[in-house]
Amino acid sequence: MITRDWPMYRVILENLQLLPLLPRFNLKPGFGELSVEEVCKAHGVNTDFFLEIAKAYLDELYVPEEGLALFPLATMVNYITSTHSYYKEIALPMVEEKLMRLMDHSSLSEKEVTLIRTFFNDYKEEFMAHLSQEEELILPYVLELERQASQDKPDPVFLEKLQVYSIREFEKEHTRLETSLSHLSELIIKYLPPFDDLQLCHQVLNDLASLMKDLVDHADMEDKVLIPRVATLENLLLNRASFS
Amino acid sequence: MRFSGFILVLDSYIVRKGLISVLNRIQGVRVLKEFNAADPFQAYLENHPVDFLIISQSAFRQRAALFISKPELLEKTVLLEESPADDPLKAKHVHGIPASIHLMENKEALTAKIQSLLDHRDFKASGNEPQGLSPRETTIVRLVSLGLTNRQIAEKLFLSAHTVMTHRKNISSKLGIKSVSGLTIYAIVNNIITLDEVSSFPAK
Repeated sequence: MITRDWPMYRVILENLQLLPLLPRFNLKPGFGELSVEEVCKAHGVNTDFFLEIAKAYLDELYVPEEGLALFPLATMVNYITSTHSYYKEIALPMVEEKLMRLMDHSSLSEKEVTLIRTFFNDYKEEFMAHLSQEEELILPYVLELERQASQDKPDPVFLEKLQVYSIREFEKEHTRLETSLSHLSELIIKYLPPFDDLQLCHQVLNDLASLMKDLVDHADMEDKVLIPRVATLENLLLNRASFS
Repeated sequence: MRFSGFILVLDSYIVRKGLISVLNRIQGVRVLKEFNAADPFQAYLENHPVDFLIISQSAFRQRAALFISKPELLEKTVLLEESPADDPLKAKHVHGIPASIHLMENKEALTAKIQSLLDHRDFKASGNEPQGLSPRETTIVRLVSLGLTNRQIAEKLFLSAHTVMTHRKNISSKLGIKSVSGLTIYAIVNNIITLDEVSSFPAK
């Protein structure tokens, strides 16, 4: 199990699958002998939060519930926002570029190519809409909720809104983004004729797999940690208001 | 592909991890979570699609009250027998437990038992509709994938356009897929249509 006094270089060297996490915390390789804690401190990262996320990322069955419950929601919101940037600016464009290149040099029929292109474009649109909805509505709401909860006298207008809206509404609509990607992988592996550029085909499948895993972990954190914590805070605030 | 969700309830860390590594090699198995005997796993059961619960004899003893209050749990329970053959608490003595495995079993025997558990379950839950779509919904997915518009689908199935819209909404929320192209790929990988049947795409 990773701890705060381990040298950061060793943590990463022995768990290369953590690489995609680094930019989300503004960390770059070139750690020298610094420990996890020293690296985190130097970059203004909450060490415990980093450790919890890293552990959850390495072990699918690891449950960060108790650990992550200790951090301010603002820390979590920051992390979610930078994870979104990673998806939008790096992960998704990377898959797209390779997938399109694979299509360009394939022996697929025009119909098949059009199907996959349309599919990916539609998927990208849904993907972006999903992230924007979270960034423009949900995350600001979470931050405001935490701010109001810390006040002696929460804003009555906010409390009124709280009577009719709950994060649970959002949870009902929270769709899983990885499902369609797994269909795409299955289509390539099982149904489409073999591609000539085997290397590129493998890269596409690997990229899809790592994006899917990332999306699963991310959605798990939102569903299992963020939403329950926000719901608890909502109740707390409503109860307080009804007694004052 | 349809997966069966497993959770493990037992105290030995080594046994849990070992069991998980065997389970993960079996097709159709997904280990959802692991618990110590004292963990509140019943809350997890209520909120997640758990198909099987593998529990050690000692954990079962410790949590007997839970199983007495919820006898329906026994139907998904697999008992991990830890002690020699003469232990009175064996699966065959507990009414309703479908299967047991033994701590000393080799990989092949263990795999075969889990596999037969899955086969039996699939047999029981036999139905051709993937992921909980009703036959009508499956038909509509097929027609959407073939390029028909909602209006054409309504005419073909003698339904109102409004009913077709309702079906489309339910399908989207069940599958988490909104676009026609997404449904088409879904339909191909679930053998609702063949790749050859896909008409000239896109039909928006």
